[in-house]
Amino acid sequence: MEAFSLDLTPRVLIAEDDKELRELLALVLENEGYQVCQCSDGEQLLARLTEQHNFNLVISDVRMPGLSGLEVLSRRRGQMQQIPFICMTAFGDTQTHHRARHLGAAATIDKPFDLDEMMELVAHVCLRNERN
Amino acid sequence: MRLTIKITLAILLGVVLIFSVYSYLSIQREREQLKRNLSREARHIGESLRVMVTELWQQHGEDEALGFLLRANQGYSETLVRWIWVSDNVPSSYQPRVPLAHLDRLHFEETVTLMAASDEGHDFLLTYLPVFIPGNRLGAIELTESMEEMHEYIQESLRRSAIVIGALVVSGLLLMTVLGSIWVGRPMRKLRAQAERIGTGDFTTSVNLSGSDELSELSSTIERMRGQLAEARDAEQVAQAAKFEALEKLRHTERLATLGQLSAGMAHELGTPLNVIAGRAKLIIREGMMAEDISRSAIIIHEQAQRMTGIMRQLLSFARRGEARKQRIDLNLVMRAVLPLLEPTLNKQQIELSVEDASQEFLVCADSAQLQQVLLNLILNGIHAMPDGGRIIVSSFPVTDVDIPDAVEDPDQSWACLQVSDQGSGIEPEVQKLMFDPFFTTKDVGEGTGLGLSIAYGIIQEHGGWIAVDSVPGKGSSFRAYLPVDCRKEET
Repeated sequence: MEAFSLDLTPRVLIAEDDKELRELLALVLENEGYQVCQCSDGEQLLARLTEQHNFNLVISDVRMPGLSGLEVLSRRRGQMQQIPFICMTAFGDTQTHHRARHLGAAATIDKPFDLDEMMELVAHVCLRNERN
Repeated sequence: MRLTIKITLAILLGVVLIFSVYSYLSIQREREQLKRNLSREARHIGESLRVMVTELWQQHGEDEALGFLLRANQGYSETLVRWIWVSDNVPSSYQPRVPLAHLDRLHFEETVTLMAASDEGHDFLLTYLPVFIPGNRLGAIELTESMEEMHEYIQESLRRSAIVIGALVVSGLLLMTVLGSIWVGRPMRKLRAQAERIGTGDFTTSVNLSGSDELSELSSTIERMRGQLAEARDAEQVAQAAKFEALEKLRHTERLATLGQLSAGMAHELGTPLNVIAGRAKLIIREGMMAEDISRSAIIIHEQAQRMTGIMRQLLSFARRGEARKQRIDLNLVMRAVLPLLEPTLNKQQIELSVEDASQEFLVCADSAQLQQVLLNLILNGIHAMPDGGRIIVSSFPVTDVDIPDAVEDPDQSWACLQVSDQGSGIEPEVQKLMFDPFFTTKDVGEGTGLGLSIAYGIIQEHGGWIAVDSVPGKGSSFRAYLPVDCRKEET
């Protein structure tokens, strides 16, 4: 019997224009055992999603130069394969929360967030997606 | 000419006129009287002589009679007595001094009195008394009296009158100058100085003239007016201070409102570094981290904290309420200073803001914080006009040819223009008329205070400038704030 090497580590794509935050998230996620890809604006994010379909999760900032996170989300809406999105937005911006939910984001998290909280959310979303 | 001198001269003129007429009439009367006296005297002498001559002529003949007259002539020093024949063809020694035509009345036995002037200009009084000589011949006794004495007398009278008139004029002028200065000049000077003081806004000095004349009344009226003006000014100053304070409060409120609009963007701006700090701190807290990673995290934390400090400082410096202090500031710096405050909002609204710096340092006379507020208000206005994104251009340039509104106080100077152009919806002409009015807004309730443009206009106006607008509905608007380049007013 041939043995298949199954790659079960979830792949996470991070889109954030702030380099420090992006690297911090990547570092923590990698420590937790995720495979992480990074991009710094909305256009890069859209390009990566079009090229590569095997991401388990996208963590995207809402406000970015070029295309915003929500715009990318709305363009991805018609796609067959729905990758869960976690949107990061400024504290108290309820309007963005509503719009993100309406566009089908899996979750929205206010900045600044607790890293543990974020990890729980990531784990939760990944697990929920697997079950689906 | 001084009022007292005028009045004095007018009065003196009248007095001199009346006195002159009076003197003239008196002298005329005296002259007539003197003439009559002289004439009467001559007649008396003549009549006495005539009786004697007639008598002598009848008793001793012509020679004795004429000889008597010659001797009589020597007896009178001031009167010349001669015999004349009233007919033509007589020797020159018996001819009358005046032509015979003037002596017709002698034929009717009347005495004739005449005035005559000699070739040298002396006046004489001539009296002719007719004497009928037997044989039907008409002769006459001629008495000649010099008028010189009378002339001297009249001259003396004239001289006296002239001296009196002169003395009257001089003493009148002197007296009125002295009294006029005491009664009119001095109080008038006081009142004038008071009026000038009040004119320059000095209400502290009180001037009260004693007495009950017109000037004292005027002085008490001025005194009342001084009190009323001082009260009015005090009231106005209080009102002005209250208005200024209210305006300051309003501006501060508007500044905070602007800050509120900006804060949504700023929250995001603060949220990100805060996130990094919290995350890095947590990494350090967890055990098992390499010393190298810990120090790297600490450096990142430090950098992020500095970044936040910078943002906080900008927000606070904008929100802080300070005394307006105009000085020479560089417009390029003002334009650069508002960028970080706006950046989050611009990103959110997908708006590109380009700042076209002036090529070199571009100084104007302004309060930096107030000018930042104006620029922020104008740019936010542009952002609101472009809900679907677009481009805003902020530029500054010197102005050479511009229509200066009438309301501008000091039009003769150099102007700088601070321009904010957007590609928004434009402004309808009817809105343009109202948009600088306080509380006028086209935004929905809760979105705008309606004070932004009005306060921007107020600030620019206070700087001695004005704001002009060019707008094409559907294409965009350009707001141009004109500012004076020089600080002349503030420095003096």
